[in-house]
Amino acid sequence: MKLRFRGQLDRVFTIATGLSVVLLTLVLLAILGPMVYRGSSAVFFQGTVEFRKMQKNLFGRGDEQALHAEVAETEKVRQQVYEMIDAFKKGVDVEALSEQVRQIHRQFGQDLRDRNLPAGEYTRLRELTRQIRDKLEAAFRSQDINEIKRLVGEVLKDESNPQLKGTSAEKLFAIARQFLQAAGQIDLGKHQEYALALQEAEGILFHSEALPGLLGPRPGEPPAPLVMLRYGATRWDQAQTLLDRFLWVEHWVEEKPGEPLVLQRKPRAELFPEPLRPLFTYVEQNAGKMLHPRRTVYWQFLRDDNVNSHYFGGIGPEILGTMLITVVGMLFVIPLGIISAAYLVECASDGWTMRIIRMGINTLAGVPSIVFGLFGLAFFVLFLFPLLGFAPRPCILAASMTLAVLTLPVMIRASEEAIRSVPATYKEGSLALGASRFHTFIAVTFPAALPGILTGVILSLSRIAGETAPILFTGAVSLGAVPRSLFDPTRTLSYGSYDMAVGDRLGMMVPHNQYGMVVTLVLLILILNGAAIMLRTRVFKKLRGH
Amino acid sequence: MMNDGNVTLTLTPAADSPRPLVLTPGQDLRGYLAALLGRAFLFFLTFSSVLAVMLILVFVVIRSLGFLSSSSLMEFLASQSWRPTADPPVFGALAIIVGSLYVSLAALVFAVPLGILAAVFLSDMVSWKVRNVVKPIVEILAAIPSVAYGFFAVLVLAPWLQREFGFSTGTNALNASLILAVMALPTIISVAEDSISALGRELREASYSCGATRMETLLRVVIPAAHSGIIAAVVLGMMRAIGETMVVWMASGNAPQIPHPWWDLAQSVRTLTATIAGEMGEAPETSLHRGALFAMGVLLLLMTLGMNIVSEYFLARAKKAGGKA
Repeated sequence: MKLRFRGQLDRVFTIATGLSVVLLTLVLLAILGPMVYRGSSAVFFQGTVEFRKMQKNLFGRGDEQALHAEVAETEKVRQQVYEMIDAFKKGVDVEALSEQVRQIHRQFGQDLRDRNLPAGEYTRLRELTRQIRDKLEAAFRSQDINEIKRLVGEVLKDESNPQLKGTSAEKLFAIARQFLQAAGQIDLGKHQEYALALQEAEGILFHSEALPGLLGPRPGEPPAPLVMLRYGATRWDQAQTLLDRFLWVEHWVEEKPGEPLVLQRKPRAELFPEPLRPLFTYVEQNAGKMLHPRRTVYWQFLRDDNVNSHYFGGIGPEILGTMLITVVGMLFVIPLGIISAAYLVECASDGWTMRIIRMGINTLAGVPSIVFGLFGLAFFVLFLFPLLGFAPRPCILAASMTLAVLTLPVMIRASEEAIRSVPATYKEGSLALGASRFHTFIAVTFPAALPGILTGVILSLSRIAGETAPILFTGAVSLGAVPRSLFDPTRTLSYGSYDMAVGDRLGMMVPHNQYGMVVTLVLLILILNGAAIMLRTRVFKKLRGH
Repeated sequence: MMNDGNVTLTLTPAADSPRPLVLTPGQDLRGYLAALLGRAFLFFLTFSSVLAVMLILVFVVIRSLGFLSSSSLMEFLASQSWRPTADPPVFGALAIIVGSLYVSLAALVFAVPLGILAAVFLSDMVSWKVRNVVKPIVEILAAIPSVAYGFFAVLVLAPWLQREFGFSTGTNALNASLILAVMALPTIISVAEDSISALGRELREASYSCGATRMETLLRVVIPAAHSGIIAAVVLGMMRAIGETMVVWMASGNAPQIPHPWWDLAQSVRTLTATIAGEMGEAPETSLHRGALFAMGVLLLLMTLGMNIVSEYFLARAKKAGGKA
C-alpha cells in the first residue's frame, strides 16, 4: 500500500514538473499571441475610402481618378444621412435656430442702413423684426405646442407686410414655417434629451471636438486644424466600433441597491421620435456603401512617419532610430568584446588581475539597466561631451555608448566561449608551422570561432535594440524630427512602445498602431535571437563532428 | 625536395618568406617590446569592463554626493514621505525601497517553485531531444524586451486583473510581480538546471539503488546537493527583478506607499527603478531632487553588487560540488 502511494506521489511530481513547462509555454503564448495578432492589423486590415483619401492627401499614394470616383459614389450614399439630420435638426436644435434668427435680424439691420432710410422708418422696421425675432426665440424655447402655434401664427401675420417683401427678413418666415411643421412631429417635452442625443450621434457620425467620426466632416465644412479630424473611420474595424456606439447607448444602472452597477445597452434610435429612426437603420444598412471597406496591406507602416502623434501613419523614424543606435553601439561593442575575449582566452594567466577582470564583467552584467541610464547621463552627456567640446545634451551617440557598455558582458561571454571552443589542435598546428601567436589568432583561431562570435554579435544586437531604461535620459524622445547627425536625439521602437502604451492618450484610440509598434520591436528581436540560436546549434553540431 | 630525400637547412630564408629565421639582437628587442606593448594595449582594452564598473560607481556616487552631504541620510532611509517638489522638499525613500523589495520578493514567490520544477523537468525528466525543444521557449522568454512585457502588463494584464478580480486598479504590486516572475524565470531555470544536471549520474544512481523513487531522489538527494547552485539561481533571479525598470514603472501603479496589510498584493507600490525613470526628466540639474534620484541609483548599485557577490560565492561552491560528485 505504501509503495503504491509513493509511486503515485512520484507520478504526481513528474506531472507537476511537466505542467510547469506547459505553464511557461502558455505564458509565452498569452503574451505573444494577442500582441502579434493585434499588431499585425497595423499592416493587414480592411481599409475604407477614408483611408485611401488620407493616404492620397498625406502621403500622395493611390490613383487620383479612381479615388475621385469612389468618393463620389460614397458621397451619394452619405447625402441622405446629411439630409435626414438637417431636416430633423430644424425642429430640435433650437440653439442653432436662435442663432440663425439673430443673424438674419442683424443682417436686416445692416441692409436697412445701407439703404439710407429716414430715421423714423428705420426704427420702425427694426422694431418689427426685433419683435419677430423675440417671438420666434420664445417659440423655440417653448415646450407647449399651442403656444408655439400662437407665436408662430403672430409672426406669420407680418409675412404680407410689403416693406419686408424681398428683403433678407423674408427668411425668417421660412424658418418659422419649417419649425412649426417639425414641432408638430416631435415630443416637445423631450426637447432637451433629443438635442443631447442628436449632438452625440452627430459627433460619432462626423466628428466631435476631439474625436474623429465615422464618416468624417461633412462636405463643405472648413478643414479641421487637427489632421485626425479631417477623415472618418479609416479602418473597417474602427468603423464597426463607431457604428456600434452610434447605434447603441450604454449606461451603467444600479439594478439592485448596493449591488455593483450593470452595463445596459439600448438602441439609440429609441431616444428619438419616429421621423428620425429611419436614419439609424439607413446608416446601419449602408455603412459598407458609405465607407467601401477593402482588403489593404499597408506595408508602408514600416516606412512612414506618423501623423498626429501616431494617429495615422507608421513607425519609419522609430525603426531608423533603433537601427542607428544599434549600429553605432555595435561599432563600440564588437571590437572591444572580441579583443577582451581573445585576451581572456589567449593571454590570460590565472592571476589576480584576471580574477578582477572576470569579476568586473560579472558585475557589469548585474548592474540594473536604469543605473546604466544614470551613468550615461552623468558620464557621457554631462562629463565627457563638454570635455570634448560637444553640447551636453542627450543624443544618439550617448545612447549608443551607454548601451555598448551595458551589452559588453554579453559580447565578451559569447566570444570567449566561441574562442575557447576552437580545438587546441588548430592552434598547435599553426604554431608548429612557425606562425606567431598573433598571426595564429588572426589566421586560424578567429575564423574558426567566427560563427560563435557572430552568435554573440546577434545577441548583443537584440539586447541593444530592446533596452529602454538606459536611453531614457541619454538619447530617446517620444516625438521629434528625424535625426540629422549622431548628436541629435532620436525616436526608438522601445521608447515609442512605452510612450504609446502609457504616455500617449491618443494611443488608446489606435490600438493597431500601439500594438504594431511593440510587435515590430518584439519580432525584430525574436528574429535576431532565432538566428543566434540556429547559428549556435549549427556550430555545436560542427564542433561535435570533429 | 622530398623526392631527393636530401633536406638542407639554411639560415637565409626562402625568397617568399616574410620573416627572417634568425633575428639580430636589435630586432629581437624590438620584437619583444612590440609584443609587450601590444599585450599591454590588449590588456587595457580588456580592462575596460572593470574601468566601466568603476566609472559607473564613481559617477553615480559623485552626482549623489550633493544630496547625501546636505540632506540627512537617516531621513532618506527611514522616512516614508517622498515629496521632492514640496517646499521644503522631503526625501524619504523608505516606502520606495520597501516597494522594490516587495515586488521582487513577491515575484520570487511565484518564480522559484515554478523555476525549480522546470529545471528538474529539463535536467531529469526528458530526453535530450525534448529538452532542445523546450529550451528555446525559455530563451525566447528571456529575449523579449522588458518594454514589451510592460506593454503587456499595462494593456492586457491590468484590465484583465481588474475585470476578473475586481481590483480597484489593475496596475498594482500583483501585476508587476507576476510579470517580474516571468522575467526572472529564464535566469532561475538555466542556472538551477546547470547546477542540478552538473551533479552527475552517480548520486542519482546511488539513491535509486536504495529504492528511492525519482521524486524522492530529486527532492531529498539531488536538490539538497545542488542547493548552492539553486541559491545562486534565486539570487540572480532576484537581481533581475530588482533591477528591472520598464515593467515596474508601467505596471506597479507608482504609489509610494507600503502595502497595508502587508500581504495585500492588490495595492499599488513604487520601486526605486521606477522612481528614477519617472522623475529624472522633471528634476532640474544640480537640484537636490536629482541628487536624491542618483542616491537611489547608488542604493540599487549597492544592492546588486551585494547580490552579485553572494551569487558568485554560491556559484563557486556549486562548481566545486559539481566537480566532487
